[in-house]
Amino acid sequence: MYNIVDLTGRQILITGASSGMGRETAILCSKLGAKVVLVARNEVRLQEAMSNLEGDGHAYYSFDLSKVDEIEDFIKMVVSERGAMDGFVHSAGVGSTRPLKLLKPAALREVMEINYFSFVEIIRCLMKKNAYNEGMSIVGISSISSKQGNQTKTAYCASKSAMDASVRCLAKELADKKVRVNAVNPALIKTEIYQQFLNNSGESEDAKNIMQRQYLGIGEPIDVANMIVYLLSDAAKFITGSCVDIDGGRLSS
Amino acid sequence: MTTAEKMELLAETLEVETDEISEDTALTDLDNWDSMTKLSLIVMFDDEFGKKITSEDIKKMVTVKDILDLME
Ligand SMILES: NC(=O)c1ccc[n+]([C@@H]2O[C@H](COP(=O)([O-])OP(=O)(O)OC[C@H]3O[C@@H](n4cnc5c(N)ncnc54)[C@H](OP(=O)(O)O)[C@@H]3O)[C@@H](O)[C@H]2O)c1
Repeated sequence: MYNIVDLTGRQILITGASSGMGRETAILCSKLGAKVVLVARNEVRLQEAMSNLEGDGHAYYSFDLSKVDEIEDFIKMVVSERGAMDGFVHSAGVGSTRPLKLLKPAALREVMEINYFSFVEIIRCLMKKNAYNEGMSIVGISSISSKQGNQTKTAYCASKSAMDASVRCLAKELADKKVRVNAVNPALIKTEIYQQFLNNSGESEDAKNIMQRQYLGIGEPIDVANMIVYLLSDAAKFITGSCVDIDGGRLSS
Repeated sequence: MTTAEKMELLAETLEVETDEISEDTALTDLDNWDSMTKLSLIVMFDDEFGKKITSEDIKKMVTVKDILDLME
């Protein structure tokens, strides 16, 4: 059967693969024939995610991406053990809800390091000879928060806007190398980050407004994973530098 | 953390002077007992005590003492 998003034989590096959208993307990639390399901190959850993958040739690495200065050696090791990558998905991320008075530099830095610095640093390290194959596709999981502001979300929104801006710049810079760079921008999706949102502000007027505007309801991880595998595949060969909203209608209403 | 230190931290979080609150101050009597202050409380518990409290926990709080009791 003809499959426009066939990923047979492709090797995809996925951060944040132990949970939520990263985990869902890893599973879907494996179903489409890819070999996946999972990265996150929690080894138990990584193993659980591994046990849900189809096919073989997959691997996982426990690594803390907030150690940005150690990423270079880490990627070198992964590439030497697994070979060159055909795709990279950055799903690792932390939510942050902090009034300005509690947003000290350390808190701001933590969010930027995991959500943004590690994204650029991994790409930088993957662009070395033998670390990537021509045709590589990179997808960052950004958020509609990159385009919308909200009180207490300064660090989070900034980290996602930074990702969007970098996607546009890197797409152009890496085009000669036949590498595409895109982001997906989900609205509220049912994962642990969503659960945190409910715990902190679930009952607020703000949360009710959001749900009214996101009129298709809460998204599921698979809704985002479907777009990611499309962007990873050759079917999206003419798409680069884009930030694609997956928002159940939210930004249009 | 001594009770006095807790009081000081709490006053800072609630954006009041320490002498404006006592253990039996009703939270609803505070001018700025709003969603932003409640959120500050959640973040403060996480930063200072490594405790994840939820908006459900906050709903159950009536006086300053209810907050102090959880600050450990
Ligand atoms: N859920 C939503 O509503 C929503 C909406 C828009 C955008 N997003 C974005 O989507 C991405 C995925 O989020 P999700 O909802 O799937 O959240 P999730 O279930 O909480 O997953 C986050 C992932 O990031 C990993 N991670 C966190 N800190 C890390 C660190 N220091 N080093 C390595 N890995 C780390 C976690 O693994 P370990 O804990 O094992 O390290 C986990 O696998 C995030 O970037 C988030 O900002 C989410």
